[in-house]
Amino acid sequence: MATITQILEEKALEVKNFEFTYAGADAPSIKKLDMPIAKNSITALIGPSGCGKTTLLRSFNRIHDLYPGNKYEGEILFKDRNILTPKEDLINLRIKIGMIFQKPTAFPMSIYDNVAYGMRLQGIKNKTELEGRVEKALTDAAIWKEVKDRLKHDANGLSGGQQQRLCIARAIAVEPEVLLFDEPTSALDPISTAGIEELVVELKEKVSIIIVTHNMQQAARVSDYTGFMYLGELIELGRTEEMFVTPREKLTEEYITGKFG
Amino acid sequence: MTHTEKRILTNKIVMTLSTLSAMVGMTFLFWILGILVINGIDALNWTIFSEAGAPPGYEESGLKHALIGQLMIVGVATFAGVPLGILAGTYLSEYVQQSKLAETIRDISDIMMSAPSIVIGAFVYAIVVAPMGHFSGWAGSVALTIIMLPIILRTTDDMLQLVPSTLREAAFALGAPKYKVIMQVVYRGAKVGILTGVLLGVARVAGETAPLLFTSFNDNFLNTDMNQPMASLTVTMFNYATSPYEDWQKLGWAAAFILSMFILGLNIIARVFLMKKKGK
Repeated sequence: MATITQILEEKALEVKNFEFTYAGADAPSIKKLDMPIAKNSITALIGPSGCGKTTLLRSFNRIHDLYPGNKYEGEILFKDRNILTPKEDLINLRIKIGMIFQKPTAFPMSIYDNVAYGMRLQGIKNKTELEGRVEKALTDAAIWKEVKDRLKHDANGLSGGQQQRLCIARAIAVEPEVLLFDEPTSALDPISTAGIEELVVELKEKVSIIIVTHNMQQAARVSDYTGFMYLGELIELGRTEEMFVTPREKLTEEYITGKFG
Repeated sequence: MTHTEKRILTNKIVMTLSTLSAMVGMTFLFWILGILVINGIDALNWTIFSEAGAPPGYEESGLKHALIGQLMIVGVATFAGVPLGILAGTYLSEYVQQSKLAETIRDISDIMMSAPSIVIGAFVYAIVVAPMGHFSGWAGSVALTIIMLPIILRTTDDMLQLVPSTLREAAFALGAPKYKVIMQVVYRGAKVGILTGVLLGVARVAGETAPLLFTSFNDNFLNTDMNQPMASLTVTMFNYATSPYEDWQKLGWAAAFILSMFILGLNIIARVFLMKKKGK
C-alpha cells in the first residue's frame, strides 16, 4: 500500500481505486490507485518513464477518450462527482480542467485568436469582453508585454517559451479550476523553463495544479505535494519538502537519490 | 589499379551515366515545350478566343467553343470532386484513422489513381451515357470527378495526418467539440497541403482526353448546355490535329499550347505553395 500523507487543504480531486487500461493491453497501466489532490496547491507527479504518471494526468480530463478502446475503472471525484461515468459531459469537464502539453501547441492562427479560442467555444462574442479577457489572460501568463503589439500576428512566429506561455494564457482564459501540466518545460531552454516555473507557482492562487515532470529539481522547486509513481502504482505521496528530505518508502529514496530511473 | 583509383573511376562512370540520363529526359521535355511554343504561338491570335469552331477554310474560326466547354466540364468536376475528396479524406484521417475500413478505402483509392482513364470513361459511358441515350457535358464531368476524387482524397488524408495529434488534443482539452477541432484547427494546419492536392487534382483531369471521348464527346460549335455533347480542348485538339486541313491543324497547335500552359501554370502554383510550406 502506498504511503499517503494527510492532505490539509480542501481536495480539488480525489482518485479512488482507479485503474486504467490502454486499448488492446492485457494488463492495466495504472493499478488500484488512490490519491488526493489538494486545492490551490501544486502536486507534482514524478517517477521513471512508463510509470503511468502521464497516463494518470490524461485521465483527469479524459483526453484518453479521443482514442477508442481505453478503459477506466474506479473513481476520480471532482466536486464530489465521479467524472469517469459514460454520461459525463466531456466538453464541460475539459473547460473546468485545462491541460498544457509537453510541446507548445499554438494553433495555426493569430496570437489573439489562440487566446480567444476557448472563450469563443463557450459562445462569448462580445468584442470588449473578449479583448479584456485576452489581455488579462496574457498578463497573467506573463507574456502580455511581449505580444501586445503583435496580437494579430501568427502565433507560430513566437519562440518555444513564448508559445508555451501563450498556451497557458489560452488555458487560463476560460477560468478553469484545475490545470494539468504534462512536462511543460521539457522542450524549453533553461531561461524559458524558469519563467514557466515562476508562472506555475503564481497560478496556484487561482487554480489547483498537477504537474508531471521528469525533472526532480523542478518538482522540488515548484510543488507543494509530490507523488512518486512506479509501475502503475502510487508509492508515496507527501509534502514536497518532507519527501525530498525524508522519504518514507525505500523505493522513493532510491529514485530521488538517482539509484534508478 | 589501387582500390582508391577504382573507386574514383566507378564514381566517374556512375556520375556520367546519371548526368546523361538526366540530360536525355530534359532534352525531350524542352523539345516538346519548344515545339509547342513555336507552333502554338504562331497559331495564337485573338479569333481563337472570340470565335467558335467553323468548317475548314473559314477565316473566322477559333477555339471559343472548346475553351468554354473545357472550363464548364472541368469546373463542374472540380465543384463536385473537391468537396467530396476533402470530406472523404477527412473521414479517413479524422474518423476511421488506422482501422481496416480506412486501410481498405486507401488501397482502393490508390488503385483508382492508377486505373487507365479510358476505363473510367467506358464506365461512365455505361452508367450515364447509355441510360441517357446520348453524350453530354454532365457525363464528362462525372468521369473527371471520378478521376479527380482519389487524388484529392489521398492528399487530404496525408496532409491531415501530418497535423500533430497534440494540436487536436490541445483543442479538445479546451472543450472543443470534434467538428470544431477539425474545421478550426486541423484544416487550418493543413490548408496549404490540401490546396496543393486540389490544384494537382484539377491539373491532372484538365489534360484528360480518353474519358471525354466516351462521355462529353465533342461539338464543333459553341454549346453551353451540359445536357448536350460538349467540346473540350483535349478532344478538339485531337480532332483538329488529326484532320487533313492545315487551318484546323493550326488550331490544334493552339489548343495544345493553351492546355499545356494552363496545366503548367497549375503545377507551378501548386509547387510554389509546397515550397512555402516547407520553408516555414
